[in-house]
Amino acid sequence: MTKLLEWVFGVSVIGAAWALVTFDLLNLRLPVAYKEVAWPMPVYLLVVFGCYSLATVGYRVATFNDCEEASKELQDQIKEAKEDLRKKGLKM
Amino acid sequence: MLSIFLTATGADQAVGMGLVGFSLLLFTYYTIWVIILPFVDSDHVAHQYFLQREYSVILPGIAALILLLSVGTFIGVVTWKNRKPKKVD
Repeated sequence: MTKLLEWVFGVSVIGAAWALVTFDLLNLRLPVAYKEVAWPMPVYLLVVFGCYSLATVGYRVATFNDCEEASKELQDQIKEAKEDLRKKGLKM
Repeated sequence: MLSIFLTATGADQAVGMGLVGFSLLLFTYYTIWVIILPFVDSDHVAHQYFLQREYSVILPGIAALILLLSVGTFIGVVTWKNRKPKKVD
């Protein structure tokens, strides 16, 4: 089974379970609180995923170390490349 | 190649940890709203700090819409700026 089929299958199973609780398809008569928690679930999972992504990006921005030497080396290389291209006739 | 590594500078750290803090706050508030509140008695004082349940789906929906519109507008503006007139042979 391909990965796509696995994911589609998994999502369908979870989606069916969610629809069952939200729309009461089997007339299970669950407590009201359970239905209240279930129906925003897709939006809730999206928001949680968004929060996790934002936190990961923020944390990695905060802990990314400066590399002074590499920065200087890169800027020298850019200068060199510009000079070289200018000599060969490319207008900057 | 040996490099001396310094930690991230002030502004980077501030913005980064700000993002982390904001997403933690958002996660906590939203989790209490969606998952915890239905199990809390309706006369508990906590309910007054949260909007009605419908808004817990509508507000993220509006936010997603605004995000999509912003991205689409940005792409449109950049594409428009970069259009080149056709060459005449």
